[in-house]
Amino acid sequence: MNDPSRIYRWLLLVASLVTIIYLVSAAVHENYLAQWKTVQREYLTILQQKATDDRGRELLAKFRVEMKQASIPALGTVDRCVTCHNGIDDPRMTDVPQPHRTHPGHILDKHPVDRFGCTVCHHGQGAALTFNEAKAEDVFWDYPLLPPNMTEATCVTCHDAEKLPPDQIPLLVVGMKLYQEKSCGSCHKLGGRGGTLGPALDNEGAKSKHQLIMTNLKPPHTTWSWQNAHFRDPGGVVPGSLMRNPTVTRPETLALTVYMLSQWKRDVPESYLAPDKIEQKYRALHPTPLTGEQVYRQYCTACHGNGAYTRWDKKFNRFIPAIRGVSLVSTASRDYLQANIEQGRPGTQMPAWGPHAGGLLPEEITGVIEYLRSGATAAAPAPALTLHGDAGNGLSLFLRNCAGCHGMNGRGGMAPEIGNPVFQQAAPDEFIIRTIRNGRVGTAMPAFQRPDAPALGDQDIADVLAYLRTLDSHRGQKAIAQNTVTAAPSGGKP
Amino acid sequence: MAETATQEFLHNLHELPHTVKDACFRLGKTPESEREESQATFHNLFLHIHSVRVHLRTLKPTLTFGLGLMATASFVITLITGVLLMVYYKPSTDLAYQSIKDIHFTVSTGRFIRNIHRWSAQLMVLTVLLHMARVFFTASYKKPREFNWLVGLGLLVITLALSFTGYLLPWDQLAYWAITIGSNIANSPRELTDAIGMTKLFDPGGLQKRLLLGANYVGQDALIRFYVLHVFILPLALVTMLGVHFWRIRKDGGLAKPEDPPGGLAEWGGEKRLVFQPLATKTYGLMALVKGKRPPVNRGPENTVMSWPHLFWAELSVFMVTVAGTLVLSFYSDAPLKELANPAIPENPAKAPWYFLGIQELVSYSAFTGGLLIPVIVVVGLALIPFLDRRPGGEGTWFGTSRERSIFWQSLFFAVAVTVGMLAFTVNHGWLRNWFPNIHQLWIIAINPGSLLVLIFAAWSLFTLKRNDSVRLAAVSLFTCFLVGFTLLTYFATVHRGPNWHFYWWPSQWPVH
Amino acid sequence: MSRLDPPPLNRRSFLSLASLGSFFAALGTAAAGMLRLPNPAVLPGPVRRFKLGPPEQFSAGSETPFAEQNLVLFRDDEGFYAISSTCTHLGCTVARSKDGFACPCHGSRFDSKGSVIGGPAPRPLPWLEVSRAANGELIVNADNEVPEGTRYRV
Repeated sequence: MNDPSRIYRWLLLVASLVTIIYLVSAAVHENYLAQWKTVQREYLTILQQKATDDRGRELLAKFRVEMKQASIPALGTVDRCVTCHNGIDDPRMTDVPQPHRTHPGHILDKHPVDRFGCTVCHHGQGAALTFNEAKAEDVFWDYPLLPPNMTEATCVTCHDAEKLPPDQIPLLVVGMKLYQEKSCGSCHKLGGRGGTLGPALDNEGAKSKHQLIMTNLKPPHTTWSWQNAHFRDPGGVVPGSLMRNPTVTRPETLALTVYMLSQWKRDVPESYLAPDKIEQKYRALHPTPLTGEQVYRQYCTACHGNGAYTRWDKKFNRFIPAIRGVSLVSTASRDYLQANIEQGRPGTQMPAWGPHAGGLLPEEITGVIEYLRSGATAAAPAPALTLHGDAGNGLSLFLRNCAGCHGMNGRGGMAPEIGNPVFQQAAPDEFIIRTIRNGRVGTAMPAFQRPDAPALGDQDIADVLAYLRTLDSHRGQKAIAQNTVTAAPSGGKP
Repeated sequence: MAETATQEFLHNLHELPHTVKDACFRLGKTPESEREESQATFHNLFLHIHSVRVHLRTLKPTLTFGLGLMATASFVITLITGVLLMVYYKPSTDLAYQSIKDIHFTVSTGRFIRNIHRWSAQLMVLTVLLHMARVFFTASYKKPREFNWLVGLGLLVITLALSFTGYLLPWDQLAYWAITIGSNIANSPRELTDAIGMTKLFDPGGLQKRLLLGANYVGQDALIRFYVLHVFILPLALVTMLGVHFWRIRKDGGLAKPEDPPGGLAEWGGEKRLVFQPLATKTYGLMALVKGKRPPVNRGPENTVMSWPHLFWAELSVFMVTVAGTLVLSFYSDAPLKELANPAIPENPAKAPWYFLGIQELVSYSAFTGGLLIPVIVVVGLALIPFLDRRPGGEGTWFGTSRERSIFWQSLFFAVAVTVGMLAFTVNHGWLRNWFPNIHQLWIIAINPGSLLVLIFAAWSLFTLKRNDSVRLAAVSLFTCFLVGFTLLTYFATVHRGPNWHFYWWPSQWPVH
Repeated sequence: MSRLDPPPLNRRSFLSLASLGSFFAALGTAAAGMLRLPNPAVLPGPVRRFKLGPPEQFSAGSETPFAEQNLVLFRDDEGFYAISSTCTHLGCTVARSKDGFACPCHGSRFDSKGSVIGGPAPRPLPWLEVSRAANGELIVNADNEVPEGTRYRV
């Protein structure tokens, strides 16, 4: 072996040949094996079969095997779906297999592909040229192709769902109704109205799968499979979730899922909006007040039920008061109820519902108070109690009679927190005295001055009241802080 | 001479093909004599940086494994593919991601080109690192090559910077969050200035981040800055320094090699070689101006061959091997492209490119120590090697001086044991913050698994210095420890770190999220 | 001259030729691939096959300019035809004038059927291919020219 560069020449030969082989394979792969070319050649044979009249022959003659796309700069989309879905607007293609088939329904008449593209309704990766990448469930893409029965969720991008023909959006209609029936608004905000126990749902449909906890979910991991599973068993999908099971049937689950998917504040140019959508946006700024009963059903029943009975809530670990119970509404003044509704009850799960918090209008709060009080007899004025209370004695009486349920310092336990500032400010002396005397029918609160066995005399009650009034000042701040913690949203990604 | 100007003009017109050809290819044929071969070398801009003759030892594949050339070749490939990608890439936060998608879907061979760009960039980082290791273990940094070692170190830093800046350009989730982390590493001196309460007076971290991003967040301004760095400033710097690097090789007397034995036979081929005879037609006087060894005129056996064609075969083949390797990788494996960047959802785990994952592991102990202090110590330490180890010997031979090989193996095992032990301890027991939640940050900056590793390695090197009474051996032990630490940390962070930077045995065990 | 190298390197050996040849072949293949790259499979922007609406929308004798698409659609008794409003000289958009079309850039003038009647334009305004899409809408293919006088009958 005399030639020191012989090995390098062999190396060069081998490397060059490998290079050529791979370059050529890449070229073949790209130019001859592309999925869309096969599809278009297939479509060409279908066109040939259908070229029985002049129009058919004309369409056949015009067809070219080439990449096609709908480029919609206004929506920021470039959809190449039509590269494979060639027969999408050809009415003759109803009897051929996918992907060549005509688009079902008459939707394309008003939504031509050149103006709307495909992904604005169907989602998926419009730029892609293979079905797998376009469907985008297993590739890195935020919004995979929606299943056909859920595509109606995107109609509301440009339409007001209430103005669309219900047969076009069957699931969405049910979903909207269920959202109100199941009183989801008690815990979730939507359009600025609702409770704060759960996360706001305004952009729920815009979430990608990475924003949802998929650990306890079998594949496929899509947002809709998450929603579906979550509506069936919230705690099973999100461990530790406070959300109670909405007890819905499977079709109803699907409807709620579609309703969630439709919640997407997506910016589309105004020229794409249906007039009713613009009206809907205007209405959202100037809402018509709901009646008291409607408010109660949409925003209160999830926790308070029909309001007639107090019940023990396992998840909250406390009693939920009977706010339509006779003894409360006959005892409580309108101002007391209004303050409790508008400002909430710090230290409990009851959020504030005032216009800047839960988003209820003043008229609606008045209405719901009327609804709470409906049927109750007007309260007789309480006998004045002119005795001067002794807070020290009140403390020992409180510890003996009240602390068991209301907690030390009135910080609440099984029974409501009576040390918190909203209660202290909203409840007049008269209300407290009356409640102690007569108890609260339908709750665990006993009457302490029953005629047969008066447990507390008037002086005792005055002492307890005096003690209660000392709780306000030093409990306030801490209670509010606690309230913020317990009301933290609990459904999204931690 | 009856030739008129018209005739001359017509004659020239007739001769045009020949004269043009002669002007462009002066030799006009394959060189046949050594004189012509040397002319082929030094009459060509691209070849004249080589010497006319090359030592047989440096042609042996096992001396260098062609690593430096491979790094250069990968750079050339990234340069060509990079220019091609620039045809379609749009450096705007609104358009960048879509333009990469279009490169994938509609540009002819676009996805392939992007894969090649990505793979050759990774190959470049790898070969640059290995090339450095080769130069170190063959002691090729010693006089007169200290300066070229520094230039090479600069090239390493630029190579890493090129990779880092290129990472942001696709504007996907990976890009966005890796660069968010990277720019906050630049911000990490604040950890120190905050801890001693002087950020308001002097804030180098904030300044670095601002210069890098042009804003407080990774946005359009950051994208443009990274783009300009990636396609213009850094490549220009790299090409310039590459020129210096090559030129210095020539000026320093070619690749480092041991002295030829005086007299006797050449080692290669087992045949007797002639003694070099200076030719009457050629002057060797210029060689006196060149540093390094003079040609062994009339002195020893001739162990050199003509660069044309031998050296050029070697270089061409290494280039082509690099191309072929990159193509094969690119054919089977697509460059990743995640979802569109979304500032609301952090990628989890947000991992930097693999060669930064060692640093990312260190950063998980302390951003300042791991992200800035230790890398700076490492680079400065590497730069000092040729100036602290000045005793000649062993140049151009793998583990040239005695005991080098055994010190290498000792250090290898030592560093593996220490690094694995440190990682296992940290994963199982946590660190200072877990034990003393209220400890001052300065303690964590000073004492963390990363800084301890550096200290232990330095101590080991000093121990070697004392025990063996050799600076070179101390350098070998330290460099080996650095290589092992880098490799193991990189491996550990790549394979065993998952979401929330928790430890997992395999990526397949990562929780779905 | 004495050869100092190991004797005859046999430069023209088969191996040298083969390796060098394959090297250049690889380079050529790569160059061919790269030259294709600047030409994407589909151009950005809207497709130049414009759907203009159902034919009934245009009455006989009508003339409808489509500014975005740079064409004018005519319907006369014989059928539809479309004339491009891009000047054949250097690509400016022509304006409708009294006797036909006039180009503002270099003064080319065309009659109402697109024939040149003045200025530097080398050829008449192109007549574009009119056809109908599968759903019945009129389509003008701006990339396909048809001979002057061609009408499309519905």
